[in-house]
Amino acid sequence: MDYALQQVLNALAFGAEYSLVALGLAVVFSIMGLVNFAHGEIIGVSAYSVFLAAALGLTSPIVAVLLAIAAAALAAIAFERVAFRPVRYAPTTTGLLTAFGVSIVVQNLFMLLISPKPQSVSILNGLNQMWFFGPFAVSSLQVMELIVSGLTILALVLFLNRSTLGLAIRAASRDFATVRLMGIRANRVIATAFAISGALAGIAAVFIMARRGSVSPDLGFSLVLKAFVACVIGGFGSLPGAAVGGMLLGFIEVGLLVALPQEYGGFKDALTYAIIVALLVYRPEGLLGQRVELGDKEI
Amino acid sequence: MSQAIEDTAPAAVARPGGALARSLIGGLVTSLPVLVVGLLILNFAPTYYTFLALGAFVNLIVVVGLQVFMGNSNIANLGHSAFVGLGAYGVAILSTPLAMKKLSIPNAPFGFATLELDPVSSALLALLAVGILALVSGKVISRLSGVAATIVSLALLIIVHSVFLNWTGLFKGNQAFFGIPKVVGLPWMMVMSVVVIVLARLFKDSRWGLQLRASAQSPQAAAALGIDARRLRLVSWVLSALICGLAGILYAYFAGTISPKLFYFQMIFNTLAMLILGGMATVTGAMTGVIVLSVGLEFIRSIESGVTIAGIQLPQLLGLSGVALGVVIVLCMAFRPSGISGRYELDELLSRFFRHAK
Repeated sequence: MDYALQQVLNALAFGAEYSLVALGLAVVFSIMGLVNFAHGEIIGVSAYSVFLAAALGLTSPIVAVLLAIAAAALAAIAFERVAFRPVRYAPTTTGLLTAFGVSIVVQNLFMLLISPKPQSVSILNGLNQMWFFGPFAVSSLQVMELIVSGLTILALVLFLNRSTLGLAIRAASRDFATVRLMGIRANRVIATAFAISGALAGIAAVFIMARRGSVSPDLGFSLVLKAFVACVIGGFGSLPGAAVGGMLLGFIEVGLLVALPQEYGGFKDALTYAIIVALLVYRPEGLLGQRVELGDKEI
Repeated sequence: MSQAIEDTAPAAVARPGGALARSLIGGLVTSLPVLVVGLLILNFAPTYYTFLALGAFVNLIVVVGLQVFMGNSNIANLGHSAFVGLGAYGVAILSTPLAMKKLSIPNAPFGFATLELDPVSSALLALLAVGILALVSGKVISRLSGVAATIVSLALLIIVHSVFLNWTGLFKGNQAFFGIPKVVGLPWMMVMSVVVIVLARLFKDSRWGLQLRASAQSPQAAAALGIDARRLRLVSWVLSALICGLAGILYAYFAGTISPKLFYFQMIFNTLAMLILGGMATVTGAMTGVIVLSVGLEFIRSIESGVTIAGIQLPQLLGLSGVALGVVIVLCMAFRPSGISGRYELDELLSRFFRHAK
């Protein structure tokens, strides 16, 4: 029983992290049809800013968390301004390849300017402790991941449903041209979407650093690949789909970890992806995907 | 692009035989620069450059393979190096001499440890394996919308790479697989490059290629004309995979040693940047991109490893070539999405040039 509970908590924590990152991808995609491969590098910028700040003498974990989120949001806005604005109205493939290029550039800049090797960051290690509830020992990080992700998603839903800008964002994801005709500034809507996406990435970066205690150039890349897969199973462009897809991915991964014998543990990723591809055979549009979610985007 | 279709379509309807001959000659003209570069290197270049050229020819075949799918369907494929890897490992497992196999994969399943085939039948069987994987994955990918198809192509790459790494009994895992017979030199590589370029051109100009390009531009209009885009995407996916598999086979046969990391993201970055820079709409673009970036990357790599300029030793600049590749992709997409060659093939450009000169 204890073991089963522990594994469920594991799955929820993994799933929460995938959901956060997948939501960041979905917010941007639903508005401007950009498949943001550089999302992992937003996580990277956030993590490296904390690394640099710590190297310069920052010791407060709370400031580090705030810095991580702010740096990620700023990086996301900067990427949009520099690289994605020129291809804003281009076909999806053009944007996708641009983002892929940005991802390569930033990853290699980390290598070139800092180091190809992982660098140790210990400032956030305090988040990762063992908490004891009677007979149960749980990782504080997992509990926090779950709670913070839940709160973040709640805040996102409230923002999108209750604020004018949130309403504009939701409308823009259906029909951007009409939103602009209503007198909403395109640049503001898109910058806000990127800032939200970046902030979500920043929260994910905090958790990654707390768990690994180090940063490396490819820090966010594999996580973002998984988040993409989560988006695809959920239905690309659908926000609830991204959250559900992320959770599902967490459960599939942990399920495989439990089910696979030790010597086949290396096949976990291969099997995870294979299961998801098999799911897509039955529902090519994803679990929650609907044509209407795609709005004015043609994919 | 729409212009190009208008140019070719009436001819294809009026004289099927003439159109075939025209695209055959077009393909041969397109492959001329490759032949010239190859012959120059074959006759004049020192061994080191021959080795570099062999690598560049492999990239050329991969990029042409990539063009067959991406250029015609306009869906980004980020998983093609899985097929390159499968081709290479296929011939490695089938054709490596038994004495070598005792050292490298003594416990291979299915009797592969005691099997040694000649290079040609190994290559054919490896292509068969690539074809089967392509058919299965293509069934899924051709059903999906563009973005989801791209993500699934990435998932395919990760699945195949992870199998190479973890099925140590058959693929030797992370270690290099050595002892593959080195039977391919520059002449064979040139012949195969020409064959592949002509093949890609024939596909592009064929009825299927034309219909696929049309459906990439306007899915609804193409569907209304009765074009089955899914089936065409599957056909181009499989052809593209077979060409990439051939590149892997040739790589294994000239290098003699392969390892899984060769067929992972680095190869994707390189070949994708080449195709984008050259222009993915045309076979000429694929070739141009390979020539320009192969030379450019070699130059950057020499800086990357730390050069001495005017007596000052620069430090190693790891990651410089990656930055350059990424910048090439981003700038191309922002300022010239159709790449260097645009929408015309080399022979079309030449014939336009001479028509205007007259």
